[in-house]
Amino acid sequence: MTTINGSAIKTLVVACDAGMGSSVMLAGQLRRQLKKNGVTVVHAAVAEIPVEADVIVTHQGLADRVRGVAPDTVIVSIQLFIGDPAVARLVSAIQTGSDVGE
Amino acid sequence: MSVNDALTGLLDDRAIRLAETAADRDDAVRRCGEALVAIGAAKPSYVDAMLARERSVSTYVGEGVAIPHGTLTSKEDIERDALAVLRFPDGVDWDGERVTVCVAIAARGDGHVALLGELALVLLDPERARLLRAATEPDDVRRLLTPDEEE
Repeated sequence: MTTINGSAIKTLVVACDAGMGSSVMLAGQLRRQLKKNGVTVVHAAVAEIPVEADVIVTHQGLADRVRGVAPDTVIVSIQLFIGDPAVARLVSAIQTGSDVGE
Repeated sequence: MSVNDALTGLLDDRAIRLAETAADRDDAVRRCGEALVAIGAAKPSYVDAMLARERSVSTYVGEGVAIPHGTLTSKEDIERDALAVLRFPDGVDWDGERVTVCVAIAARGDGHVALLGELALVLLDPERARLLRAATEPDDVRRLLTPDEEE
């Protein structure tokens, strides 16, 4: 299982199919929540995920495609773009420096 | 140009339609697409991409709101970045969820990021989410979706 420590996360990518809707909304929230943690939050289409991504958040329906693009990066898959518990756990891991797994 | 002037450009008055009706989800998505086409933001083919996207992964985001938009390949059908806000007072069944407001998106760039960020904050605040679902004037919508300048 791929894991990463929250304190090692410098670039967080939120990915969705087109990179213009849901990922934009979630990235906006995360940018706000992680402003003080030195994390760069970007949104991208799955096909355009930047190589420097330390962790990728995506809808569970897209997780397999994301894995194909970034096989060695921790992927957090979510069902809700607003208020998903997996996102809350990720934010907490970054803020407290605990491990994030898949 | 200030952030808020940019938002006004993204959200044309003609694309804020607050008393819409739709038979079902596809009909609602079509109306959203037609609003974007009517203001010259997208080609008619973009509407088909919006329907395809909705059928593969729902754009429902919670609190009675969906954000229909096209697929990656359909970005070439976008003429300029714009949003449309359509309100369906009677509600539309959206795969078991009830949608009252659609924020439709046509975007090749990142100009709409601040506005969608503000939408996320509205949805996290039950009172502001209720105000959005109840909005009857374009200015109500604009006010709710305009970020505070200092952010």
